[in-house]
Amino acid sequence: MNVQQQVPRNALMWIIISLFALVAPHVSRLPVWVLAVYVVAVVWRLQVHRGRWSFPGRWVKVAMTVSGFIGIYASYGTLVGLEPTVALLLTAFALKFIELSQRKDAYVLLFLGYFICITEFLFSQDLLITLYSVLNVLLVTTALVALHQPGQNQFNRGTIRLAGVMLLQAVPLMLVLFFVFPRFGPLWTVPLKSHTAKTGMSDFMKPGDVASLSQSADVAFRVKFDGEIPEKSSLYWRGLVFSRLEQDVWSGLGYYDVPLSEQRPEPVATSGRPLRYTVIMESTQQNWLYGLHYAEARSAGVLQSSDYRMVSPAPLETEYMYRVQSWTDVPVELELSDWRRRTETKLPPQGNPRTRKLARDMRAQAGSDELFVQQVLDKFNLEEYVYTLRPGALSGSNRIDQFLLETRRGFCEHYASAFVFMMRAAGVPARVVAGYQGGEVNPLNRTVIVHQFDAHAWAEVWLENQGWVRVDPTSAVSPLRIQMGLEEAMASEGSFLAAAPLSPLRYRGIPLLNQLRLRYDALTYRWQSWVVGFDSEQQFDLLHSMFGEISTRIFATLLLGSWALVLVPVAISLFMKRDTHPGSPLDKYYRMFCERMAGLGLVRVPGETPGQFAQRTMAELPAFGEQLQHITGLYNTLAYAGEMDKAGLAQFARAVKRFKPNRRRALVEEDNTI
Amino acid sequence: MDSVQTTVERHRSSVRKWVRNRFGKWVNRRIPPAREVTLDQRRIFIFPSRTGLFFGCSLLVMLVAAINFENNLSYALTFLLATLFVVATLHTYANLSGLTIRAVRAQAAFPGQQSEFLVMVERSKQRDHYALYLKWPGSSEAMVNLVDEDSVKVQLHMPVDKRGWFHPGRLLVESTYPLGLLRCWTWIDLDLYALVYPRPLSSAELPGLATDTPDGAAAMVMGNDDFYGFRDYRKGDSLRQAHWKGFAKGQALQTKQYTAYADRSVWLDWELFAGMGVEQRLSHLCYWVLAFDERREEYGLRLPGVTIAPAVGEKHREQVLKELALFGIGDKSR
Repeated sequence: MNVQQQVPRNALMWIIISLFALVAPHVSRLPVWVLAVYVVAVVWRLQVHRGRWSFPGRWVKVAMTVSGFIGIYASYGTLVGLEPTVALLLTAFALKFIELSQRKDAYVLLFLGYFICITEFLFSQDLLITLYSVLNVLLVTTALVALHQPGQNQFNRGTIRLAGVMLLQAVPLMLVLFFVFPRFGPLWTVPLKSHTAKTGMSDFMKPGDVASLSQSADVAFRVKFDGEIPEKSSLYWRGLVFSRLEQDVWSGLGYYDVPLSEQRPEPVATSGRPLRYTVIMESTQQNWLYGLHYAEARSAGVLQSSDYRMVSPAPLETEYMYRVQSWTDVPVELELSDWRRRTETKLPPQGNPRTRKLARDMRAQAGSDELFVQQVLDKFNLEEYVYTLRPGALSGSNRIDQFLLETRRGFCEHYASAFVFMMRAAGVPARVVAGYQGGEVNPLNRTVIVHQFDAHAWAEVWLENQGWVRVDPTSAVSPLRIQMGLEEAMASEGSFLAAAPLSPLRYRGIPLLNQLRLRYDALTYRWQSWVVGFDSEQQFDLLHSMFGEISTRIFATLLLGSWALVLVPVAISLFMKRDTHPGSPLDKYYRMFCERMAGLGLVRVPGETPGQFAQRTMAELPAFGEQLQHITGLYNTLAYAGEMDKAGLAQFARAVKRFKPNRRRALVEEDNTI
Repeated sequence: MDSVQTTVERHRSSVRKWVRNRFGKWVNRRIPPAREVTLDQRRIFIFPSRTGLFFGCSLLVMLVAAINFENNLSYALTFLLATLFVVATLHTYANLSGLTIRAVRAQAAFPGQQSEFLVMVERSKQRDHYALYLKWPGSSEAMVNLVDEDSVKVQLHMPVDKRGWFHPGRLLVESTYPLGLLRCWTWIDLDLYALVYPRPLSSAELPGLATDTPDGAAAMVMGNDDFYGFRDYRKGDSLRQAHWKGFAKGQALQTKQYTAYADRSVWLDWELFAGMGVEQRLSHLCYWVLAFDERREEYGLRLPGVTIAPAVGEKHREQVLKELALFGIGDKSR
């Protein structure tokens, strides 16, 4: 094999390390057998390396490839979509490793490795994942360097150091490119992630849904207010509106459920100073966005639905940042269209007859819609209703009757659902709203962290001259939930995050742990707002604030300038390495002498003493014997006699300078001697 | 059709030849021949390797993925790798820069044999150099590191053919270290020549033998009275005098016995092969030089303008062969 094509042992080891390091973060999304393929691949290749086994034959390779495809299809049920594609890529990566025999195979493998780092980012751009990916890139680069260090069979620390140094040198330019490179939309549609169960709100709600969400300590989104953070009890993050009740399930109106004339909501007359804030949502794989009602997005590309929600045109595959302004006390939709009124008062034709009757009676007694709302809330507040995460199961066809009049134990969705049912039964337009309520303020960076357990459901009632008004029946049952949060509301029950014993949120009582958690969260926020959320808008703002007018000239200057700024010092550090022969003037002249000898083809070999060298050269060039002896003698006296005397050195220098051996003469004289 | 194609082909090949010629001249001007060459920016060329182009394509794919998924970290990684490519330029360049390639010696050889060329690679700066690839066109190849030592000797073998001085051409010194994305190379012309002896051509026997007589005209048929027989090989006998032919036929190993081989001297004379061409004469003379040397008999050489007194030994043989190799070529001082 060509000497340039060999794969050094060190490189093989680094490739194995990167192989496992690359697959590690994908493990949770991969079928177990793919990991088995990795183990088999590495064992096989190591056995080949030890000379025990041989490389797989062509048919074995074909068989492995085909079974890889079949396996992925069998595990995912499809080959399209992001997960199967990545799994296929990872399987190919392992199989390619078995047949790694030449350097060019290694290139394919390692470049694939870089690409696998990228696929990891498609699933998560988390800070820890990013740090881990940096390690992966370092490992792959190290393997690439080791590939070009032939004959190195022992671990060489210099390999990973060089890879690290090169990556560090590349970072400044990378940053410039990152901030300057224009961001434009996708060129074509790409395979999306399969919608695997992701904790978060779904687009329908049945009793028990929100309660189960409350078991999760995951972060739903983080909010940074431009000014003061409003009162916690007023933070109702409105995300979904459920206007339809069918078979005990509340659901939102689909795009085609709304007639064309109703698609565009009546504009809201906003007045006064809005609350301005930025939201960074974790990936939900859903379209809806959260905000404080009434909210208008300030970021481009966010749509408004007919029920005044903010909607993203594409599902949120990764973290998503948007800016919002909210007017929390403006009336919304003062005029209700007939269609809207019909829709928001619609109930299933049958079921829950006792609730219907109760509602009609109370409405008749109250005299006005407003008083009716108040009386229903009073009923929740004064009677023996319990706010609990463990309401017990409801069954049968009259579940609202059962809850409202018999068990009287429920979580927010039970109260919201029963409340809206009663309103509609009495002919008052009402709907269920789902979202989050409250949030934790991180004192370190003044962000509001909204967790999944802050999930909440409440109601909106349409009142004459007031439009849609938010009503939270839960606050009537358990004011603590709204003022303090779920943890305090459930303190006596002990059910807060009962299913997540290891969640750091459970250890908020320990100051050190809590401090660490908040610090990490602040870091995550900064990371998300600066890197993950960086988009064309922010890019424009940044470049504009730094350079004012943005022109091609400025771009070019910026790029060239930064490149020069980085590459020149790197070049200097590379080429200004120490001389291998530092030393005294004595050494300098002796080196000059050696160079002249080398000119004749008489090279002083490493380890040869000046004396030995003289002996050897004198045999070759008897004509110069005397001079050689003289120079070597002088050198030895000066070098080993102890102190350096100036006169001796000058003499030595003269002798060397005068020594101008000429091969032709040397040979002629040699000829004459024979 | 065919003829058109061949014309085009011929045309193309002549263009290629012209380009190569021009390039050769340009390289000659830029990197003149020398006994030793220190690699610097005048001599080093650098360009993305095939792997580098492949890497560039991979980067494009990554960029498309970043754009399509609107994924900022993918952008970041793509740009990091792109700038790594740029930074690698300097590192690859530095791997060749500052190296000194020195011609040490070239072994003399007979036509058809491999001559060994010895060059020395030295570093002048305290930095590690890896995967330095050296090769002459047509020679064996070598890959060396300069890590623990400041210099390393590299042996390259190359077949030689014509009598005289053989110049191996331009030495390729190449490196793709550290990432393989860039190829950094130089073609240096080392002032290094291998001596190629004439091709030995056997003749059944030496047609005439010049004696020491003053006029040199008398010729005496060479007798073989100096060789008188065989005896069984004993431990310690010179292997040169072993009777290999007999051994090869299956007989026991015997030693050829000579008498007084030191006191006879033979003149290998140009005129012995009168009537033949120059090369043929030299080839025959070469054969007999080797034959006498093997028998450890004294022999002298007489060529027009050259006389070497009879002697025996390695040094003598080399001197004689050198005269034969360079006969009519003139340049003796390489």
